[in-house]
Formats: sequence, structure tokens, C-alpha cells
Amino acid sequence: MNWNLFLTELVAGITHGSVYALIALGYSMVYGILKLLNFAHGDVYMVGSFVGFGIISLFGGSENLSVNSWVLLLVMLLCAMLAGGLLGVMIERFAYRRLRTAPRIAPLITALGVAFFLENSAQLLLGAQYQSYNSYGWHGGSLWAEGFTLPSGVHVGMPQIIAVVGAVVLMLGLTGFVQRTQLGKAMRATSFDREAAAMMGIDVDKVIVATFFIGSALAGAAGVFNGLVYQQVWPYMGFQAGLYAFIAAVVGGIGNLPGAVIGGLVIGLAQSFSIGYISSTFSDAIVFAILIAVMILRPSGVLGRAAVQKV
Amino acid sequence: MSKFRRVGAVALVAGVLAAVVATSAFATSAKAKGCGTVSIGMLAPITGPAGSIGSDQLHWAQYFIDTWNKSGQKPTLKLVQGDTQLDPSKASTVAQQFASDKTIVGVIGPAGSDEVQAVAGILGNAGLAFTSGSATRVSLTAGPLKGFFFRDVPNDGVQGPTDANYMTKTLGVQSGDGVMIVDDQESYSTGLADIVQAALKAKGVNVDRESVSQKANDFSSLIAKVTSSTKVVFLPFQIASEAQLFAQQLKAQGKSAVVFGSDGTFDSSKFNAPGAYVSFFAPDVTTIAADAKIVAGFHKVYPGATSPFGAPNYVLAQMYATAIQQVCQKTGTATRKAVRLQLAKTSLSSTILGTPMKFDANGDVAGAAFHIFKIQPDGSYKTVA
Repeated sequence: MNWNLFLTELVAGITHGSVYALIALGYSMVYGILKLLNFAHGDVYMVGSFVGFGIISLFGGSENLSVNSWVLLLVMLLCAMLAGGLLGVMIERFAYRRLRTAPRIAPLITALGVAFFLENSAQLLLGAQYQSYNSYGWHGGSLWAEGFTLPSGVHVGMPQIIAVVGAVVLMLGLTGFVQRTQLGKAMRATSFDREAAAMMGIDVDKVIVATFFIGSALAGAAGVFNGLVYQQVWPYMGFQAGLYAFIAAVVGGIGNLPGAVIGGLVIGLAQSFSIGYISSTFSDAIVFAILIAVMILRPSGVLGRAAVQKV
Repeated sequence: MSKFRRVGAVALVAGVLAAVVATSAFATSAKAKGCGTVSIGMLAPITGPAGSIGSDQLHWAQYFIDTWNKSGQKPTLKLVQGDTQLDPSKASTVAQQFASDKTIVGVIGPAGSDEVQAVAGILGNAGLAFTSGSATRVSLTAGPLKGFFFRDVPNDGVQGPTDANYMTKTLGVQSGDGVMIVDDQESYSTGLADIVQAALKAKGVNVDRESVSQKANDFSSLIAKVTSSTKVVFLPFQIASEAQLFAQQLKAQGKSAVVFGSDGTFDSSKFNAPGAYVSFFAPDVTTIAADAKIVAGFHKVYPGATSPFGAPNYVLAQMYATAIQQVCQKTGTATRKAVRLQLAKTSLSSTILGTPMKFDANGDVAGAAFHIFKIQPDGSYKTVA
């Protein structure tokens, strides 16, 4: 067995899967509360990624950074999460709030409209050119030289470690927040039954705003992790990543947070192993085949629960 | 009486409306025939995933038109923009609009080979010439588009064998060695990859053909398949920064295969991995001393980086301007047919691409040749063949 190939694909799959999982969490959170497929979520991730790129430029650009890599990363993450969160809140306030009682198709189409609006605005304001974090050039490439080497000689660079560990920390933080705080409890109650939660005195508006803020902040962080490992930033990057994250959320069971994480990892690993062992040409087809298979065998996703409806 | 008056008023209004419509139609028709201001359509992916390429193409064409008009040359030219988003169906819609607009006498674009095929019937039936500065599929100039479609860049039939020969003759790829070819699933990329693959296989080289989405940003899974016998990784990509990313990830995995990019990756600001090779149909205009004034003028109007896809559209605008001027001088009327026939005969003794420009009988650029560049340690491109 070629362990080098196997471990390389494993590392690639986990890294990619972590990014998908962070984005998928936002899809799942919003769907859990509002039953809305927020297709603009992928573009919040794009905005987060651009904010990170802006911070790099602000500190002298990738080749001439004036600050330590770790300080830079911290600032990038905080700014991207804040910008992503605020953007999510604005989207909810101006695009979705008035449509809460509208037929489901209305907010769905609005979400697509918001996605196109963000993509085109980004292109207009930031240009259509691909930009690069170029983390290989930070302080002479020291960030990629750090890390550890697996037995078969596969080097795992520090950016990959940061992306995976960062994603895990954020996911654990979210789980803790949802399970142990008052607002988290209100989120779960609203997710279970929005009308009943309102009748019990929960400020549903506040819960929805918090949900959008947190989910979008995670997407902003995913944007930075993606740029750190895969370098490229461009206005249309959110569409494909958002699509894969949406598939991840559905495979895991949309509305279910641990399901989103599992779905993200499944999609990431399926992509990398299909490229390595089957065919790079058909890797997308394989990912979608997994989606179809899961939908046929478990229509509510791996960890999703079938909804019981009273008639 | 009152009924009679009402009917009279309606007839009067209808008469006035008919006169307005007729006058405006006549004005449009007269404008099209005259050489006062002549319009050229531009089909380019101004927005969408290839927006960076398309906007650069548009900027270069527009820059030529603006320079022409400012210099007082006649006739005055106007560039009518049409955004295709590199989507053949959108290109067809815009082509219909151009075909209906009688002021347009010729079209620059579309950018992609699929788009060229999609609009061929529409523009051809409308009698319009159309010219591309980036569609390189060989078959485009080999069939029924003759006389209507022209391009000022060499086709893949020239590039593919040039690249394969360089790999075997200069880079030392021998029979039994491995070459990985990674296409980006677009027609330009797959077509060129097929040609290089066939040329290498004919020389006994083991080709590992792979494919990734144009939007991919993680090549690590693919790079894991690069073995010690893989001498070259050929990347017929359209986005230069994708080749840069591939080269960076290849290096990060400690692989020593030589990266070889096609003309789509020719952009020293985006793809500058030392030791890599790039083929291209023309030199980088930003590095040609004779072009310095034009490039500086362009950057003054359009600050920021320019891609190698842009400048050929400047030359296409120049070809149209020359053809239209000649038609106007001869006949005083720039019709689509006259412009098309004149374009086929137009010749420029020098262009910003560093070579003369003339179309051959099929509409391809006459005397086409590809150049090979090696990326230097400082990221600059040096001509090696």
C-alpha cells in the first residue's frame, strides 16, 4: 500500500472537510431556526476571505509583513468573523425578516438574489482578479516549514494544522454555547418550535439575529482558513464552497450541528480520496453520488431525524 | 361630428407616431451606412468567473478605440459592450442583439471557443465578421466559418506540438518517463491537453491525464500522484494563479517535477514560480521596450495588473479600425460585408504583440509561432525558445 498517497489524501480531506464543516454549520443553524436555505451563506464566506486578504495588505502584503504571523492570523480571524457576522445580521434584517411569513419560495429566491448581489458587488468593488494570501511567502515561508512530518514522509504544514485545529475549537465553542448558555437554550427552543418559544417569552428576533451572527462569523473564519491553506481569493469563490457545504449539511442532516461537521468531513474526504484513487475527472460526480445515496437511504441525513407531522 | 373629430385626432396621433418611428428608423439606417461614427461590438466575459480575463480584453480594445478617436482619425469609432460571462448561451443572446443593431459592422470576440461556435450562425447570418483574441480551438478556422471568423492568436495546433517538442528535446523527457497533464475541464484546456497528450504518447512517454475544476484551489490530492518518474507536469490552465498555486503545493510536498504552463498561465504577476516554463503566442507586452509608451498610457487609464489575454484585443480593434478606414476611404459607406472583406485583406506591418499581423485564407494569423519562457528566480519571464 502506498502510505504516502493515503496519508496525503487523508490530510487533504480533513483540511478541506474542516472548512466545509464550518460553512455547513451556518447553513444548518439558519435552517434549524428559520427553515431557510440561505444560499447567500457561501458569499459571506467569500467576504470573510477578502477581509483576511485586506488585513494582509494592510500589514505590508504577504512578502513584506510588518507583524508576526500569529498576530496577523489573530487579527485576520477576528476581523473576518466580525465582518462576516455583521454582514449576516444585515442580510437577515434587510432581505429575510419581512419574508418570515411568506411562502418558502420567496426567501429562497431572495437568498439567491442576495448571493448574486454580493458576488457582483465584490467584483465591482474589489475587481475580478484572483488574489492570493500567499502564505508560502510569509516571513520567508516559515509558516509552511513549521508543522510535523508523518511516518511516510508526508509533511503537514502549520497552515493546515491551524485550519483543522481552529475549526475544531470553533465547533466545540459553538457546541458549548448552544448547550450551556441561556441564548443557546433559546436557540434550541426556537429551533424546536418558533411560535411556542415566542409564547414562552423568548425574544425570537434576538435569537434569529444571534443565529445569523454566529453562523456568518463561522463562515468568515472559514474564509480565512481557506485562504491560509489554499491561497486563492476571488469574488465567485463562495458559490462552489457554499454548494459543497450545503451538500455537507444535507448529508449530515440539515439543522443538526454535529451532522454538519460529519457531513463536511465526509465530503472533504470523499473529494480527496476519489481524486487520489479513482479519478480527478469524476470527483464531483462521486460527491454528488454520495449525496444521492444518502438521500435515498436516509432522507433526513446521517444524523438528521425524520420530522413527525400531525395530520 | 364629435365622433368624426375623435377619429381625426386618433389618426393625427397615429400619423405623428408613424412619422417619429420612420424618422428614427431612417436615422439609424443612415447612420449605419455613413462613415460618421461606426460601431464595433465586443463580446467578452466582462463579469462572471472569467471576469478578470474579459475585463482586461475589453479595456485593451476600448483603449485602442479611445486613442484612435482622440488622435482625430476618421471615422470615429464606438465600442458596444456585450457581456457573455464565458457562457455560450449568454453569448448567443448578446450576439442576437448585435445582429439586430444595424450600426455594428463587426465584432471583437467572443473569448472562448465554445462561445465562438455558439454565435457563429447568428453573426454569420447577419453578415458580421467576428474575431477572437483568445479562442484557440483548431477546428474554428477549419470549417464553415471561413471568411467570417478570424483570430490574431495562433491555434492549439501550433502550441501543443511546440510544447511537447520542448519537453522531449530540451527538458529531457524520454520514452518511458512520466508526464502528468492536468486540464481544467474547459474546452480550451481539454483540447490543448489532448493535443499534447497525443504528441507525447507518440514519443513513448507515459502520460497521466488528470482533470480539475477551474475553480479548484486544492491540488494536494492530485500532487500526491506525482511520482519520481514524473518529469513534467503540464498545466493547460486559463487562470495563471491556479498554476502558481499548483507549483507552490507541488513544492510543499517536496516533489521535483518541472511545472509547464500553457498560454493561459502566461502572467508574470500571477504565475512566477522559479524554474517553471510557460508557452505563449506573443511576448508579454509589458516587457517590450517598443510598447512602453502604449503600456504606460494603458495603465494610466486602467491601473493594476494586465493579463496576456488583453493586448491581442487591442490589435483586433486596430485591424478593424484600419479595415473600416480603408472601406470608408474607398466607398464612403461602411457596410458589414465591405468591412468583413476588407478585414480579411488587412495587414499591419507591426503591432504591440511584436509581430506583423495578417490573416491567412482560413482566418488564422499568418506565420504563427509559439514562444517558450522560463521563469527566473526573481519571477520574471525569459525567452528560451
